[in-house]
Amino acid sequence: MTGGVSPLLRRLAADRATGALVRDHGTLYLVDGQVVHAESPVAPGLDVLLAGGSDRRSAARPHGARARRIGAGEREICRLGALFDAAFFALAPGRGPARFRYGAEPRLAGAGRPVPAAAVERETLRRRELLDDVWPYPALDAAPVVPRPAAPGQSVTARGRALLSRADGVRTPAQLAWVLGRPAFHTVLEIRRLAAAGLVETPAPAPVPDPAPVPPSGAAPTADPPDIALLRRVRDALEAHL
Amino acid sequence: MANAETALKEATTVIDGALGAALVDYTSGMALGAIGGGKDLDLTVAAAGNTDVVRAKVRTMEMLGLQDDIEDILITLGTQYHLIRLLKGRGANGLFLYLALDKNRANLAMARHQLKKIESELEV
Repeated sequence: MTGGVSPLLRRLAADRATGALVRDHGTLYLVDGQVVHAESPVAPGLDVLLAGGSDRRSAARPHGARARRIGAGEREICRLGALFDAAFFALAPGRGPARFRYGAEPRLAGAGRPVPAAAVERETLRRRELLDDVWPYPALDAAPVVPRPAAPGQSVTARGRALLSRADGVRTPAQLAWVLGRPAFHTVLEIRRLAAAGLVETPAPAPVPDPAPVPPSGAAPTADPPDIALLRRVRDALEAHL
Repeated sequence: MANAETALKEATTVIDGALGAALVDYTSGMALGAIGGGKDLDLTVAAAGNTDVVRAKVRTMEMLGLQDDIEDILITLGTQYHLIRLLKGRGANGLFLYLALDKNRANLAMARHQLKKIESELEV
């Protein structure tokens, strides 16, 4: 996790390049080496975020907020949020090499403040670390979200409840993000938090190759490595009770 | 019609004793904008850390069954005030303004009032 997110992005920023950096999971648009727009099929765009998602239920907002005109401040905040969100997924480690199309411009260019490539890179790294701090199970991020029943007395935040009520065991965190009109990273993070609290199933990690068979001898058997996930869940359940 | 940058600039110039201000997304902990601070107060670190403060309070309120919203959170240090004001509104879904004040120069009541005003300008 140390080192840069994308050496190519760094070089393009240093060269003050203009064009589109196309990666496996999305595209970053640069003007003079600064990021002006980012797109990812995973992350909902500005239009989806401002519309509040595709779910009818989330349309029922108080104070008729949906009917309100969107102010410049609000729009700018949303645009920045969407840019960092798409950039996070676009800069995710990919299989293929990144390409750069000089001069390419975004189709849906949102006018706004360009963001230094270094800031995008820094934030992307910070977000990766944050996910691992919360609950280090990356398998959760792309898997269907399967809710688990809450422990007696365990409380869930309103944002968490909104997610859980739409998790049908089929939708992935990114699909839930589109439904709710929330940034995809926020949904991925919230799902990791819910999984850490035992409210979402944590998918089994990729199978670890079998360790060498222990020869049947008189030696004391070595203890199995502790099941951290189980221990954390027990701790959380205990904390919820005490 | 202020944008985020202008609103923060206003917060640090209009409010007496302001040391720095940041607009923070409280789910991710990202500072969408920050002004002031300096080497004594790293606002991006403060932004990320204070999301935990807000989340802890939101969670506590859920546990208590309080059907209410947080308007602001005040943290009083020996020499500073840290004021967290949660923003409402659609695009401002899960954002807060973070303001650090010099305790000797600041008028707390006035600062809260001005922060409220800046919030309303940000959303118009």
